Amino acid sequence: MKTIFKNRKISSIVTVVPKEEFRFDDEYPAFKLTEGKAKRFKKMMSLDRHRIAPPDVCSSDLCLFGLQQLLDEGVLKKEEIGALVFVSQTPDYFMPPTSNVIHGRLGLGQDVICFDINQGCTGFLLGLVQSFLLLEISALPKVVLLCGDTCSKQMDRCNRVSYPLTGDAGSATVVERCEIENPIYAAMKNDGSRHKAIYVPAGAYRTPATPETLEVREAEEGVPQSLQHIHMDGPAIFNFTMEDVPPQVEEILSFSGDTRDSIDCFLFHQPNPFILTQMAGKMRIPQAKLPNNIVSIFGNCSCATIPLNIAFNFAEQLQQGSRRVCFSGFGVGLTWITMVLDLGPLAVCSVVDY
Amino acid sequence: MNFTFRRKRISGILVVMPANERCFDEEMKNFNFPPARSLKLKEVMGFDKRRIVTPGVCVSDLSVFGLQKLFERGWLRREDIDALLLVTQTPDHFMPATSCLVHGRLGLKHDVLCLDINQGCAGFVIGLMQAFMLLEQEAVKKAVLINADVLSRKASPKDRNIYPLIGDAASITVLERDTQDSVIYGNVKADGSRAEALIIPAGALRLPSTPETAVLEDVGDRNLRAKDHVFMDGSAIFNFVQTEIPPLIESLLKQAGVSVDSVDYFLCHQPNRFMLEKLADKMKVPYAKMPNNVVEHFGNNGSVTIPTLIAFNLGERLLKESLHVCLAGFGGGLAWSSLLLKLGNMEFNSIVEYK
Amino acid sequence: MDKVEFCQKLAEILDIEEVKLEDVLNEFEQWDSLAVLSALAMADAKYGVTIRADEIRSVVTAGDLANLVEEKQKQLALKP
Repeated sequence: MKTIFKNRKISSIVTVVPKEEFRFDDEYPAFKLTEGKAKRFKKMMSLDRHRIAPPDVCSSDLCLFGLQQLLDEGVLKKEEIGALVFVSQTPDYFMPPTSNVIHGRLGLGQDVICFDINQGCTGFLLGLVQSFLLLEISALPKVVLLCGDTCSKQMDRCNRVSYPLTGDAGSATVVERCEIENPIYAAMKNDGSRHKAIYVPAGAYRTPATPETLEVREAEEGVPQSLQHIHMDGPAIFNFTMEDVPPQVEEILSFSGDTRDSIDCFLFHQPNPFILTQMAGKMRIPQAKLPNNIVSIFGNCSCATIPLNIAFNFAEQLQQGSRRVCFSGFGVGLTWITMVLDLGPLAVCSVVDY
Repeated sequence: MNFTFRRKRISGILVVMPANERCFDEEMKNFNFPPARSLKLKEVMGFDKRRIVTPGVCVSDLSVFGLQKLFERGWLRREDIDALLLVTQTPDHFMPATSCLVHGRLGLKHDVLCLDINQGCAGFVIGLMQAFMLLEQEAVKKAVLINADVLSRKASPKDRNIYPLIGDAASITVLERDTQDSVIYGNVKADGSRAEALIIPAGALRLPSTPETAVLEDVGDRNLRAKDHVFMDGSAIFNFVQTEIPPLIESLLKQAGVSVDSVDYFLCHQPNRFMLEKLADKMKVPYAKMPNNVVEHFGNNGSVTIPTLIAFNLGERLLKESLHVCLAGFGGGLAWSSLLLKLGNMEFNSIVEYK
Repeated sequence: MDKVEFCQKLAEILDIEEVKLEDVLNEFEQWDSLAVLSALAMADAKYGVTIRADEIRSVVTAGDLANLVEEKQKQLALKP
């Protein structure tokens, strides 16, 4: 789907990260890596540290904390919330929807639409699309988009290919109408035939959780995983990011009438610095315009990566003014979404510790 | 929250019903209750037959089956699908979204918007609202809404409140723009403070499944249930329906400026016969206008009860006629939503069996 | 295609002195998922070809990989 949204804006973003930080240098012995191999891995993937949520903290807790910050800062009032859109692949429950649980915890009124959307890496952008659509309802004042994931709980802590690159985070973004047209160009694509590139085989209804599905086996050395963990096909993901995403970015730039020069920054989902560097090279985007530091500092936080990218790298600039940005999210599904819009000024744009 | 949409229509409904049928009279042997009490429950609740999937069948299987039937019968062309919405609380996987799986299995074009929404019994009405919103986009000419659940897998066989009630099914609803300037009125509400009235405590991230969460516990009412099983607080739900649904529909009719008499049918979610009869009484709607026969034939199949109701009771009629209907969905969340619209002149409106 | 250069690039990825065309890739301790990714990246960036996930799994020797890349380059050249 390719479309233009008008009279919509993002007005505030708060991202929330667990306060406890874990360093690769402390963790690598658990990955069965020699010091030499660990050094090589660390260098190639630009690994340094990541934030992991404690066992009893879920995505909803992180997102709700962010939403509470927005209320406390006075940029949002409870009665202005017309819809809660919760995007995650790590919900609290199968039922009820987590957005309803958050609704209850906040004590909101009944005139609120609650949506839970299942999506990962493209979650923030799909959530924005949903928020823009919801604002067609004239009675709806503002939408709060909550994107968060605790993917660290879907992997073994000794799994060297996934754990050191993963982080947990949540975010709360306020989306509302605006007087000016502010066109937002968006393109979305899906290919479910390649879904096995990133998926969780067991735990839901195809293969329910059993003691067998919990059993951890070594897929290769240093890669312990169970059927309830995230399975990733590295080469397939690499092929996807290099083949499918660049044409969509080209398509959107052409659609919006932009060039690499007219875009101030390319705020992409961050699977890992290595892939992103390759992508930037292929798309001839200068490294300076494509921030690539989120995995090194926080880990790949799934749907919260893009808001974290925005808040960590551009908080000051976006609170003071506006930037022409190109968002691109790609991953689980497989789904890929790219947008071009003017972002800012934002009333609040921050990263807070949980 | 009130809303309106213009120039949108439901052009077809296909319900995919598992062929596997269970009978209350057989199943009541499992319960810790005297047979006489169970029979009384059967009469009051309207339990009789229900349809559930056989082991290993998932939401994507029912969905793919249904869509393939539509392609085979020429009622839908795969290249015409611009948006695929899947409303479920029983997804195939935690990731990817089940709509992506269906997309992949059917080899649909890449430009389809795929969206999984977690919603329960209010899910058909909320799904329609979502489809109407998408149809506002020029790029979306045809939207396919799938409602599907296999909740029987989470019902404790020793829980008399839930086990004989739950059915599984899927429905495929095709929506597109209407050349006529028809107005659709709707409203939607939520109350998360009562979220625990309908819940599966374990299985996702708040409380992951372990051997402990699979243990059946005596919950104090002679029923046995594990944390992995679905729990419904019957009285809380009953109170909810009695208190919230009449004002919801009243407000909707007022918004549209019409009376109860102008509505041909009230097509409500079917929790069980008892609750719906009481709702009809409270709203002073004659039983004939509020069909109430899904549970006894198919079970309560969640967000699919309304499309089942439509296809089962009005299958033929809606192909030729147009009726003024009020749809009302309500349940887990808690969420409740209603729509007032013209329904009719449909291209298809039927039930197929899944073997 | 300069296969000597290709082998040199492979050696860089594996962080070792030398790779010969007849070497079996799996026998290198360093031929892990990281190395595979680097090899795909190299094929794309330096040789302009895409190697599919299933293709990289089916190569046995360094020579097989070089041949695969060369074959793909030829196919690309033939495209209108």
